[in-house]
Amino acid sequence: MKLTVNGIAHDVVSAPLATLLDVLREDLGITSPKAGCEQGGCGACTVLVDGEPQRACLTPAASLEGLEVTTVEGLGAPESLSPLQQAFTHHYAAQCGFCTSGMMLAAEGYLKRGGTDDREAIQEALAGHVCRCTGYVKIIDAVAAAARGDSFDLTVTAPSAGMTNLGGV
Amino acid sequence: MTQGTEVLFPTSANEAIAQFGDGSGVTVIGGGTIVMPEITYGRMAPTKALLLSRAGLDTLEVDGASVTVGAALPIGRLAELAEDVTALAQCALNVADYEIRRQGTVGGNVCAGEGHDAPRGDLQGPFLALAAEACSVGADGERTEPLDDFLAHRAGRLLLDLRFEKPAASAFAAIDYPHTHEYTVLAVTGVRTTGGETRLAATGLAGYGTRLRSAEAASSDPEQAAAAALKDVTVGDDALASGWYRERTLPVLVRRVLSELEEAA
Amino acid sequence: MKAVGARLPRYDGIEHVTGRTTYVDDVRVPGTLWAKALRSPLHSATMSGLDVSPAEAMPGVHAVITAADVPLLEYGHLSALGIPADEPLLAKDEVRYKGQPIAIVAAEDEETAMAAVDAIEVDFDERPPLFDIRKAFDADAPKVHPWGNWYPHFEGEMDRRQIRKGSIDEAFDRADVIVQGVYRPAAIEHVPLETQVSLAVPEANGRLTVYSCTQALYFSMGVIAAHLQVPLNKLKVVGGTVGGGFGGKVDTASETMCALLAQKSGRPVKWRWTREEEFLCSSTRAPWHMEIADAVTKDGWILGRKMLTLHDSGAYARFSPYGLTKHSFHHTGAYTIPNLSFDGFVIFTNRVPTTAMRGFGVTSVSFATETHMSRVANVLGLDPYEVRLKNANRIGDTSPNRIVYTDPSTVSVVKALAGGMEVELAPEYAAMTRDPREGDLLPEHLVSQMADPEAH
Repeated sequence: MKLTVNGIAHDVVSAPLATLLDVLREDLGITSPKAGCEQGGCGACTVLVDGEPQRACLTPAASLEGLEVTTVEGLGAPESLSPLQQAFTHHYAAQCGFCTSGMMLAAEGYLKRGGTDDREAIQEALAGHVCRCTGYVKIIDAVAAAARGDSFDLTVTAPSAGMTNLGGV
Repeated sequence: MTQGTEVLFPTSANEAIAQFGDGSGVTVIGGGTIVMPEITYGRMAPTKALLLSRAGLDTLEVDGASVTVGAALPIGRLAELAEDVTALAQCALNVADYEIRRQGTVGGNVCAGEGHDAPRGDLQGPFLALAAEACSVGADGERTEPLDDFLAHRAGRLLLDLRFEKPAASAFAAIDYPHTHEYTVLAVTGVRTTGGETRLAATGLAGYGTRLRSAEAASSDPEQAAAAALKDVTVGDDALASGWYRERTLPVLVRRVLSELEEAA
Repeated sequence: MKAVGARLPRYDGIEHVTGRTTYVDDVRVPGTLWAKALRSPLHSATMSGLDVSPAEAMPGVHAVITAADVPLLEYGHLSALGIPADEPLLAKDEVRYKGQPIAIVAAEDEETAMAAVDAIEVDFDERPPLFDIRKAFDADAPKVHPWGNWYPHFEGEMDRRQIRKGSIDEAFDRADVIVQGVYRPAAIEHVPLETQVSLAVPEANGRLTVYSCTQALYFSMGVIAAHLQVPLNKLKVVGGTVGGGFGGKVDTASETMCALLAQKSGRPVKWRWTREEEFLCSSTRAPWHMEIADAVTKDGWILGRKMLTLHDSGAYARFSPYGLTKHSFHHTGAYTIPNLSFDGFVIFTNRVPTTAMRGFGVTSVSFATETHMSRVANVLGLDPYEVRLKNANRIGDTSPNRIVYTDPSTVSVVKALAGGMEVELAPEYAAMTRDPREGDLLPEHLVSQMADPEAH
């Protein structure tokens, strides 16, 4: 079957009912979407399908004939980070990084739908994504900053916008 | 093994119906949100998989008072009925998250069957309260019947659409278990028809979608109706909540829904 | 030192946002086989008739390992800390928790491996399980270990971690009120987004390369070497970015099995746990049962504390005695209590063995002591900030394990909390510092402790 990923067309040969996640990771060597639960419960596998965020672990690859898949590599490269990638970097929105790919693509979909820096709306858009490291505050900071069109100094990280600090570090 | 699965990918309703045939050996996949994990975890190994995402069954038609919901309509699109059928839209938006609602289908949700120690089929509640009819095909051709009849005999049937008349008012109340996906522990939908009839249905109980007919009979008195609701259901324990908890909260949700319907009058 | 105090970006931040970070499951080695485990379906049973030949005979299956394939079946991960080995890498003759691994298969693909696991034959004779740690000492309780349900190897072959300080009986005699509480935090799963995963690659020169998600690379290297009975220089362990650990990836739970399968099959072998395995069979933070009785005066001094702790270790000891020991050192929390009687037991049950999780052993006792301080304040009708400030650690106070505090922060933290909650402290309390006790802050019951900490 034909599958276009990050602008490159592929001829995929896989098990007939393989998931998009398995096709990306095992057949095409694109490992940024992760196998966090393989049941759609964690969001680590989310990719964009024709610009909309979708769980790769729940998607039969066969159903995507002729559609465009975007993974996080398709947002930007180290020399040319997208605004969202810059936002995540500057706002320290990733710790272990395992949820980051899915989280960013869900955020990208939200921003493309006209999402604003309203924190509740961002939470709602990212509701399907689990992060066990960050406590989510800085992720929301990053998405809000990207929504506002902030510019980012990548040599430093920003203090958290969403938390009260009683003093100390 | 999925190595040998025959994948059928119809691009029209007629093709889907023909490929479904009498349904024997066919696993229907709407969005894949329920079936794909079962395959991944080795609990299902379909010989034939019928993918419905391009079969044109994802329509939503409103013709005067009549509404027809295609079986492959993504759940999230029920939000378009927010004004006319509030409870149905609210129930849909209470399911999982944006991505799951885009991918999961109405038919997949309604026909879900038993979950793993947690209820499935949230949408059964509103559709039963709406007295929706199910149009399906199978061995003995096309058939339209009340939804609960369809659910009782759905083996070998392919759901095509659900049809109902717009209500005068509707209300939805749910208790959710907080999670990424806020699983619905218990939910009640209430509908008042243009003819003044009140219907109530609940999900999250043993057997999942159930009409609360004793409560309906007493619906003019919310207190009585709330108490009567327990007569219509079997409560059980599961991973989300105990039967004890559901027994105590079902009357609360019934009262809440009836009072919302009252206010909408 | 330019880095201290600076807001530096993560060195791997750009890798994370461009999808380039390599986790174990992203490592690609040609010819890698998939591993799947046969796990105990029962909480407690004797096992017989284990026959893996149907799995071995299946097309696409390259190797199957059982207890018989492990050169050193039981290795105590913390034997250097005096905790002897008690857990077989793979179950032999019995199973003690649901999910305990019995056999592991390496096959061409995931589905073949799953089918091979289903083909393995084994018989079980079910035994009644023990889950309630409070029943561990009952005469009719099921025995998880042959002698019973407690860890018996604390120093001097004691059955408990014990702390005695000062005179607890005097403290209880002198008290105006005894305040009691029972605290029972439940088990907590780590739920890292990355499940347990290892990849073992046999090298042409006879060494093994093991890609591991471990949080403790050199530690895991020692564990693998011990089970395999090979010198350390036969192993190359590659760690890297861990997709969340939180203490749950210190058990070396998959590496050794992959290494054995790689040796036996001569092929690279990857074992990636499913999310269901992660929830059902991975180690958790322990459930605890703690009972505290404080001897207190009407004006809010805590004269003495009696405490009983039961720590649920699950079916094997792993690191629990170490966790309980740390717990015991902190059982007065951020406060100074001079007369102590602490008894802590590591209890075995038929649960998945428990392990470290952020603040191993101490989160439980922090929760209990803090809640208890508020309870003391409630019972006495006193302000909870004041009770804390009065009893707070000060320079020169001693801990339960005789550490003299030189840099305690209780007073400043409590005052910062009061500020953050917009609570105005009474002047006497607002003026408190952590300076060594004197005057009103040095009542009689603390005098002897200050004078000679070594006496306690």
